[in-house]
Amino acid sequence: MAMEHFTTVIEGAFAILNERVNGASNGALHTARKNALANLLTTGMPTPRHEEWKYTNLAPILANDFLPAIGPSLPVTSSILEGLTRWDFDTWRIVLVNGVMQRDLSSLPPDATRIAIEEFSDDVPGGHIASTEAYPFVAVNASLLSGGVVIRIRANSIIDTPIHVCSIVQTDVGNTISMPRIFVQLEHHAVCTVIETHHTVGRSKGLSASVTEIDCAEGSSVAYTKILDDGTNGHHIGTTAVNIARSAKAVATTACLDGAFVRNDVIMRLNEPSAEAYLYGVSVLNDAQVADNHTVVDHAAPHCHSEELYKGLYDGRSVGVFNGKIFVREDAQKTTAYQSNHSLLLSDNAVVNAKPQLEIWADDVKCSHGATTGQLNEEAVFYLQSRGIGKDEARGLLTYAFAADVAEHIEHAGVRELIERRIAEKLNARQFDR
Amino acid sequence: MTTAPLLQITDLHAGIEDKEILKGISLTVRAGEVHAIMGPNGSGKSTMASVLAGREEYQVISGSVSLNGKDVLEMSPEDRAREGVFMAFQYPVEIPGVSTANFVKTAVQEMRKHRGLPPLEPAAFLALMREKMKLVEMDQQFLSRSLNEGFSGGEKKRNEIFQMAMLEPALAVLDETDSGLDIDALRIVAEGVNALRTKDNAVVVITHYQRLLNYIVPDVVHVLWNGRIVRSGGKELAVELEERGYDWIKNESPAEV
Repeated sequence: MAMEHFTTVIEGAFAILNERVNGASNGALHTARKNALANLLTTGMPTPRHEEWKYTNLAPILANDFLPAIGPSLPVTSSILEGLTRWDFDTWRIVLVNGVMQRDLSSLPPDATRIAIEEFSDDVPGGHIASTEAYPFVAVNASLLSGGVVIRIRANSIIDTPIHVCSIVQTDVGNTISMPRIFVQLEHHAVCTVIETHHTVGRSKGLSASVTEIDCAEGSSVAYTKILDDGTNGHHIGTTAVNIARSAKAVATTACLDGAFVRNDVIMRLNEPSAEAYLYGVSVLNDAQVADNHTVVDHAAPHCHSEELYKGLYDGRSVGVFNGKIFVREDAQKTTAYQSNHSLLLSDNAVVNAKPQLEIWADDVKCSHGATTGQLNEEAVFYLQSRGIGKDEARGLLTYAFAADVAEHIEHAGVRELIERRIAEKLNARQFDR
Repeated sequence: MTTAPLLQITDLHAGIEDKEILKGISLTVRAGEVHAIMGPNGSGKSTMASVLAGREEYQVISGSVSLNGKDVLEMSPEDRAREGVFMAFQYPVEIPGVSTANFVKTAVQEMRKHRGLPPLEPAAFLALMREKMKLVEMDQQFLSRSLNEGFSGGEKKRNEIFQMAMLEPALAVLDETDSGLDIDALRIVAEGVNALRTKDNAVVVITHYQRLLNYIVPDVVHVLWNGRIVRSGGKELAVELEERGYDWIKNESPAEV
């Protein structure tokens, strides 16, 4: 019921947009919306019978009757904004409220010759990287795409200051879904760091159906970190799709630190030789939180390299899912692809579902995967005790280290320390004496 | 007046899962001494190390162990360490995500807290770590690496002795520290241990082979067989064991009672 109702609501919101666009209805942007909606209506909402949604039932989430919103319903004050991200390092900041960029709240780089920032339009209707056919929530996002942000890093530009996209779902008027859309285009040999955060502001529940596309041209390099650290009202279903060209490098880190529900799909395509993809994930969950991480690493060209490390700490009645696919296509000889996924269960009621999936059609490749789920290594606890560190402190230190291990791979010190600090804060709130 | 021995083990019976392995061990170690515990596989050497360190899975059936007159068996593993027992592990654990520097710092500050000393300032601590690393010829890059992760066998053992140097224990127990070491690593480890010896501390070397004892020369050698110390003697006993093996000890010792 909730599922059909949800698609009907999206269809209704599209109809309103359709009336508004008038003469532009054949423009590229609206055509993309129409195609996305058609795909959404064909596939519908995924049930647990859908292989990609086996462990996560959307029905209870969609039963919240989220209504789509495009742009702010109330002004967002700068004090609300400052409260969301208290960081001690500089960033360029792009603020999206209900999916629409708010220039007055943003602090954009002044030098447009190196970075160009604009909204989606008929000139730039999307990155065409995330598929509206394969991913129902990409179709939801694209059906109502309005505003969003396109970030273009010009050729050979090295942008040291991280670009922070801060996406807010405003829920003052009721349970709200927003469709933030981000497209990062790195021209050849461009380098940048992108941080993406999602926040629910308001008394009601929020759902962000976000899509981020990153296009890495030859020799470019992107370090992308998505931090999900929302309040108890926050729900997130996000897709990050990355195309990586010759000798380009993409690092995507996903940190699930707080919020009611998270589903993340990270898709990396290595399209040309010598491309490199790095996927990291850390989830620290408690209560009834859910983090469902799906990844696809698609080796479509020879001599490419990928590494993947996902770790999770699960307390309370939390649920973690990891599904990691690696495809090595027939032409992708000399591929090296490594995946590992490790989970620690901190309570008897927490659940983890892990599923590595390797499909290899090339014959001259090196691929491996490893997955473990368990409790803290008691031998390690004893080792620390034998050096005078108390048992509780030893358990705390090891639990923290287990998760923080992932953050070590983040190059930007400020971003790394931010995630380490939040992991520590979340763990400090719990007891280790069970 | 004689002072209480550093370590006093009296008629210790202990085992694991209802199986008695140590069947009445008595041992007195005084400050300034080096004792070697030798014995064939299965004689109870590693059980003895485990019981001293306080591994939970081992049960003490009867007997006592005291350190400077304090009951060790009543203490948690961390309290034993804080009171001055140091175990150099046969298989040091790899701990991803905890840097060697951070680990050692946490341990040293715990020890200082226990001894009523103020925490070391970061600069003084770093200087101390550098000095002690030189002792075992460890490269500084190990400080920022995850503890023991990807270390070679020799590097792990040197790291154990580095920790010993940082923690300055009253009693160091080296559990098969020589296993898996090439001759250079063996020499470095042994020289490190020797440099740390004072008139106030003691070392117990648990080993199957005599070769480590060429470098760390014991005052007393004990032979463990079937859960008992069946023979004690000077350093020449170790040489005799090396030449004759353990069979003659087994044959001359009382059989299972």
